[in-house]
Amino acid sequence: MMIDWSFAMKIAAGGFGLVFMLLTLLAVVIWLSKEVIERLFTHGRAPH
Amino acid sequence: MFGLLESGFAQFYWGHALMIVIGLVLVYLAIAKKMEPLLLVPIGFGIILVNLPLSGMMDYELMLRAPTAGVVMEIGMNEGESFKSEALVCKLDSGEIRTPVFGRVDTLRVTKGETVKKGQVIARLITMQQTNQAVYPTQPIGLLSRVFHYGVMWQILPPLMFLCLGALTDFGPMIANPKTLLLGAAAQFGVYFAFFLSLACGFTLPEASSIGIIGGAEGPTTIYVTSILAPHIIGATAVACYSYMAMVPLILPPIIKLLTTKNERLIYMKPKLRKVAKIEKIIFPLVATIFVILFVPSSAPLMGCFMMGNLLKECGVTERLSNTMQTAFVDIITILLTLAIGASMPAETFLQPTTLLILILGVVSFASAAAAGVLLAKFMNLFLKEKINPMIGAAGVSAVPMSARVVQAMGQKESKKNYLLMHAMGPNVAGAIGAAIAGGVFIGILR
Repeated sequence: MMIDWSFAMKIAAGGFGLVFMLLTLLAVVIWLSKEVIERLFTHGRAPH
Repeated sequence: MFGLLESGFAQFYWGHALMIVIGLVLVYLAIAKKMEPLLLVPIGFGIILVNLPLSGMMDYELMLRAPTAGVVMEIGMNEGESFKSEALVCKLDSGEIRTPVFGRVDTLRVTKGETVKKGQVIARLITMQQTNQAVYPTQPIGLLSRVFHYGVMWQILPPLMFLCLGALTDFGPMIANPKTLLLGAAAQFGVYFAFFLSLACGFTLPEASSIGIIGGAEGPTTIYVTSILAPHIIGATAVACYSYMAMVPLILPPIIKLLTTKNERLIYMKPKLRKVAKIEKIIFPLVATIFVILFVPSSAPLMGCFMMGNLLKECGVTERLSNTMQTAFVDIITILLTLAIGASMPAETFLQPTTLLILILGVVSFASAAAAGVLLAKFMNLFLKEKINPMIGAAGVSAVPMSARVVQAMGQKESKKNYLLMHAMGPNVAGAIGAAIAGGVFIGILR
């Protein structure tokens, strides 16, 4: 059976890249929401 | 009269005996060694049940149809006879009809000399083998085959398991230190490394994806992806995933020691993380659901259930639902899922050289995932003012919470001052999210 290595490469590179990008994006969103929450609700102190 | 020939002994062969021994070993490891007992006892018992011939627990009915019209020249088998895959059922003047699976003949619906039409039923076969449903649709007729078919193959039980896992997961450590999300992402390297190795070993793209995802170390993700892309290897991938999760204490330490110096393992991290506000814990599952599913729609069943379970836990107004998911519901799903997985391992399909290869590739996937997490942590230390202990990178392999506990134990061994558990929980839960995304990407491209 012939394997389409360039297609496989696209799946792997695209997949790994997407996972990395999405988790990085989530990290940024978490950090941003912490900043916003601190400013909006507690003037510098996170609500508990 | 009911004699030995009508009993299971008539069909019993060494393969069944070997699989029953494997089932007994899993049950022994669970009971005597306390290795993942909630998973290994039902899986082991399922293996034993399905390898008792004629029990019918995992039987499927397959109506074999004539691919073309023709006259029956010769009948190749008798009713009640067992056969292997590709056995001759009958010869038509227009070609041969062979079995696509192993199993036994229940009834033959044609006789020699009869003219058959295209699509006419030739025989009713009983099999335990998974088929390509588009070409050879089967109907489950046994207790466990029904659970497996409607629970696993219809992709109901794995997402429900994710719902319960969401209710059991605390994203607090990850939210407190968002950098750890990157470690969970790095660990997905193992998935793609094993994907390439599997292709090099001759597996197809869907099979290689199902093997690679073992490195995500999330049983439901592995089962979900395999049930869609390569259902014929689901037994091997599931048992590899759950076995390696049980063996995390054996797999991770040598990899961590190989890739880190004593000084790196001694890096001190403050035991207390910042306190995460309730509103942050509520926002996270909502934002993660929207972002991830917009980018990778096919990850919706897993991500959606995972995050909904977590939201029900964190929102504070659905305590009853959350409590049910954390107790009775997760137990019910665990029983059904693991019993069905055990039952997907009949000797005829499990005892193949490819199974051994899948088990080897699975451990490579697992090990390379842990290694990638450690290496990224070391790389990040080149830029960070406050260094992180690179051992926590290995917890990016998921296997929640076992790998975080292993990191904690190793940290304590190096220095009694080092409490790494909460730091390791960050990459640990991030790894679970990463695996669900990676699985969704494979499904989105290859389904």
